[in-house]
Amino acid sequence: MIRIALAGNPNSGKSTLFNGLTGANQSVGNWPGVTVEKKSGRIKHHDFEAEVIDLPGIYSLSTISLEEEIASKYIIDSNMDLIINIVDASNLERNLYLTYQLLDSKAPMIVALNCMDIIQKKLDNIDIQALEAELQVPVIPITANKKQGIKELLSFIATFDYKNQTRDHRYSEPIENVITDFTSILGDRFLAVRFFEDGLKAIESANLKPESVNKILEAHRCAAGKFAIDFDMVLPNDRYDRIITVCNKVLTKSSVAYVSKTEKIDSILTHKWLGLPIFGLIMLGVFFLAFGPIGTTITNWFVMGIDWVISKIGAGVDSLGMASWVSSLITNGVFGGLAAVVGFLPQLMILFFFLAILEDSGYMARAAFIMDRVLRKFGLSGKAFIPMLIGFGCSVPAMTATRTLDRDEDRKVTTMIIPFISCGAKAPIYGVFAGALFFRYSYLIVFSMYLLGIIVAILSAILFKKTILKSASANYIMELPEYRSPTAKNTFLHTWERSKGFLIKAGTVLLGAFIIIWFFSYFGFVDGTFRLLADEEIEHSILGAIGKFLLPIFQPIGFDSWKSTVAILTGFIAKESVVGTLGILYGVTGNVVDNGTLLFEPIRAAFTPAQAYAFMTFALLATPCIAALSAMRKELNSWKWFTFAVAYEMIVAYLVSLVIYQLARLELGTFLSILFAIMVLAIVFFTIRRFIVRKGVVCGSCTSCGLKDECALPKKTEFDALLETKQKDDVK
Amino acid sequence: MTLRDILPGEQCIIKGIYVNNLRKRIIDMGLTTGTVITVKKLAPLGDPIEIHVRGYSLTIRNSEARMIEVDKIEAKR
Repeated sequence: MIRIALAGNPNSGKSTLFNGLTGANQSVGNWPGVTVEKKSGRIKHHDFEAEVIDLPGIYSLSTISLEEEIASKYIIDSNMDLIINIVDASNLERNLYLTYQLLDSKAPMIVALNCMDIIQKKLDNIDIQALEAELQVPVIPITANKKQGIKELLSFIATFDYKNQTRDHRYSEPIENVITDFTSILGDRFLAVRFFEDGLKAIESANLKPESVNKILEAHRCAAGKFAIDFDMVLPNDRYDRIITVCNKVLTKSSVAYVSKTEKIDSILTHKWLGLPIFGLIMLGVFFLAFGPIGTTITNWFVMGIDWVISKIGAGVDSLGMASWVSSLITNGVFGGLAAVVGFLPQLMILFFFLAILEDSGYMARAAFIMDRVLRKFGLSGKAFIPMLIGFGCSVPAMTATRTLDRDEDRKVTTMIIPFISCGAKAPIYGVFAGALFFRYSYLIVFSMYLLGIIVAILSAILFKKTILKSASANYIMELPEYRSPTAKNTFLHTWERSKGFLIKAGTVLLGAFIIIWFFSYFGFVDGTFRLLADEEIEHSILGAIGKFLLPIFQPIGFDSWKSTVAILTGFIAKESVVGTLGILYGVTGNVVDNGTLLFEPIRAAFTPAQAYAFMTFALLATPCIAALSAMRKELNSWKWFTFAVAYEMIVAYLVSLVIYQLARLELGTFLSILFAIMVLAIVFFTIRRFIVRKGVVCGSCTSCGLKDECALPKKTEFDALLETKQKDDVK
Repeated sequence: MTLRDILPGEQCIIKGIYVNNLRKRIIDMGLTTGTVITVKKLAPLGDPIEIHVRGYSLTIRNSEARMIEVDKIEAKR
């Protein structure tokens, strides 16, 4: 099978092209870094068949983030039969940089020139033949999002004689001399070029003999002296010079002045004064539409439909006269549980829908730009805002999105704080408790839960940064893509993809969970015999026994019934099931998740407001559901960190609930005096701290520059250090 | 003079890059010696900054902008 890799800059349309070529439904967005793992698909054209691999976007073969490393390694190490380099024609200069890096390799290549519609709109012109002549590879113009040129590209790939492609790209004379020197030692021109750019990092995997390493270091030292500018800037400079020459030849700019739509939109959306309030309004708006009256109304209609279906199924099952445990399993276990989860779908879809619009339009990148200053205070990059925002919908895609962050430490911190952000699945819990006990203040109470989640997430990020992950400094450098109007197809595809993920989870992990819960709650020992229990005998069930056993631990945070403990336990399997379980435990029939009012009476009887608030807090902060846990394990990529994160979340959930419950129980006078004492302590603490902490930390090597955070001198790289020791050896 | 000192709307030309950890990335993104940059705007909170370089928009933090030495291009009248 022929293997084809799609390579190109972030946001250049690779995933759209991939979908066009393979017919797959990849998630496509308009912020740099949508593809976080390589994905593969098949293409077929008459009797031609090939495997296509969609790689994360990269600006350069020298990488700084994990996702880039995946892509770069793949291109460099695996012998692809063909590379399709997708180039954004509206951003030719920067995009051709990667193209020229790829041209240094031996892999056969085609350039797919994307976004031709924008070029036409600007009335610019690109001379395709001239570009082909310059690059010495075939260039196919396409407009991926309008599916133009895809067929031509397909038939070209099918007939392209990639095995006999030859090209000869030369750098300027002095650079070529150095490359020839390096090649004679390393044995491969591409490797020599990579070494020229990336130093020792490039030849790590080449397993060179020690004497070859010595030789190449010698050659490197020798070469570095020959250039007037910094050695690492030599190749990029030369490449960009060539690119400018090429661009001048092939690109004719229109004489009509083109004021881009993007500039106009950005003059408002990232405006000095308006930018922040608009950002707040957009976030609030999305939130309001999903969880406010509109979302609730749609949900209610949806639930009425589901209830009707389930009542029919229930009646049907009863009429069949099956064994009592079978009909119990079907009505109580499977459908009761599933209805609880599926009923939650409309709100989630609304949220996913708006997130898709924000992503596709290009606003997400602006959000990161606006929020960077704030997030940096917590040791995070503006880019971390995107995963955190997705976290309000579901932790699972949010954790996957952390891979767009540049550094491992930043990814760890973000992954570990995402569970504190109140995901969509936790909303029904607040709905039931706030609705039952706080009446007209219920909105405020729900809002306070979201706020509490954010505050705990932020404080945890600061804590991690100050203690265990000190090196997390969060780099930031980001392209602002041009705005695009989101296409209906893409938006719905996006929404559907994510909703599907949720439904699959509901059908697999959650279904299993509900059957287990059903077994635990409908079976148990009564008078020494293990048997199926009636609804009112649930106290004797296995779940009841576990709940009772754990109750003493939870008493200090206000749990006074094993039913609360049991509901929280089921939340570890899936947060959605907490309310469903409460419904089962309090013997409510009907769909309790969306018709929360059914649960109001039993909850009012069983919980005080303080207990309810502590319960919500614990449900919010404690370890997330199994699906999120598996995502977390995958992203942290270490059992040690995973165990730490879970333990940390449990402890934080317990402590915060404890403090809230104990404070909420106090009389007003006592509460106020404690508040006063805390304030006094805080003032004393910060005053002392101001005297102790030195003003401005200078790096020490020189005191003149006055920079607080970082030294201006280039840090010694591993390479420089090696070079230095080598020089010392030479002196000896 | 560094990139940080250039006001929105003004143009400058790069003389040297002294950034540490993002150095390679900044160079690869097209910020090489001799490149002309237009500063477009500051983020609403004053940091990062948006610059126009090689036909596209790039955002970088002030901490990096301070490490890029530039010469201001005086506007032609």
